[in-house]
Amino acid sequence: MRQRAGIMRRAGRYGGVRMAAASASEAEFRNAVIAALPRLRRFCQGLAGSAQDGDDLMQSTVERALARADQFEAGTRIDSWMFRIAQNLRIDAARATQRRGHQVPIDDMPDAMGEDGRATVENRSDLAAAQRALQAVPEDQRAAFLLVVVEGMSYREAAEVLEVPLGTIMSRLARARGRIEQAIGRGPGAMQ
Amino acid sequence: MSDDSEARLAAWLDGALSPEEAAAFEAELERDPALAAKAAEWQANDAFIAGALRPLGEVPLDDAMLARLGLAETPAEARATAPPATAPAVAANDNPPWWRRHALPLGGAIAASLVAALLLTLPRAAQRDGLSIALDTTPSLKQARLADGRVIEPTLTLRAADGRWCREFRSSGETSLACRGDKGWTVEATAKGEGPARGAEIGLAGGADTAALDAAYRRIGAGDPVGADREAALIAGEWQAR
Repeated sequence: MRQRAGIMRRAGRYGGVRMAAASASEAEFRNAVIAALPRLRRFCQGLAGSAQDGDDLMQSTVERALARADQFEAGTRIDSWMFRIAQNLRIDAARATQRRGHQVPIDDMPDAMGEDGRATVENRSDLAAAQRALQAVPEDQRAAFLLVVVEGMSYREAAEVLEVPLGTIMSRLARARGRIEQAIGRGPGAMQ
Repeated sequence: MSDDSEARLAAWLDGALSPEEAAAFEAELERDPALAAKAAEWQANDAFIAGALRPLGEVPLDDAMLARLGLAETPAEARATAPPATAPAVAANDNPPWWRRHALPLGGAIAASLVAALLLTLPRAAQRDGLSIALDTTPSLKQARLADGRVIEPTLTLRAADGRWCREFRSSGETSLACRGDKGWTVEATAKGEGPARGAEIGLAGGADTAALDAAYRRIGAGDPVGADREAALIAGEWQAR
């Protein structure tokens, strides 16, 4: 068995890789995707509102990114590119929900109830409180807030990810903060 | 408070104002206590939410999640950093999937050591079939003799994308892949050929019919093979480790 250890070795998996070369190999692309995953996961969970839904969104995002690797422009930020894919998937899903008229399959009900139960348990944690505040913000504003405040992007970078004008990012950030202020300032269990 | 002053407050918090605009806004903050209070509150809210979400973006994803995403590392990369002793005899540009080049360097000494466990004597034998008990309890590259006389030899352990543990094993000139469910181990696929020749360092031999195994590995979304220590822990923990 011992001689198999080398096969299992995982070296450099998370070494930060930034795409630069025009003809980056498949392995480099994949490594860059992996390096960006933690931040993609954070963005997806913030967008979707829960760990489970966020990870589902992350999975769909990675699937689409790998399927469309040829569309990635070398030299640009792969995290931005994947954030954009995630946001577009959310928009697609919202449109699909609108068409279906907000029906909830009966099979989903027990899960939904289970999640409520877990949310109650997690009430006290900062992450759950932050998620509650974020969920009070409309999705387009929430995406802008996450990119700028959590991911540290400039307005210009966020505007490129979300494919909207710079001024739209500014107004979304202001409105998102107004909503968050209301959400956090409300009720006896409010923070601060 | 006007939309305009809120927009400028947001841009000020985000460092998106020009130096002149920022200076003008800071003068406004000094004159307007309500605006200053809102600035402090927004700033605190930002810090709270960013701080609560920060750890999520700093933890590397675990192997199970990478496998779920189809991004588990292939051993070709791992082997690039492995000691020369494990260098495979597979052409570098061959690039087959890892399960056809897992390159188990089977030493003659290991192959010769037949661990003829008489599995019927194990306490749980009554509830489980012999193959399941053997796969539950036999480390890779050790052999186990089943009650029906068949000798099996697990060759590696890995995880399917759905979380099940799976093992490849050899028996009677065939190589199989089995995955562990609640009721025991189920054979997912079997191919002719015994994989690496004794003492050789090449994965499943060219003569082996590997198409069925390849398809099964793809179908289950196989992760990387686990190391000897992990496998030993799984055996000891009756495969309950997640």
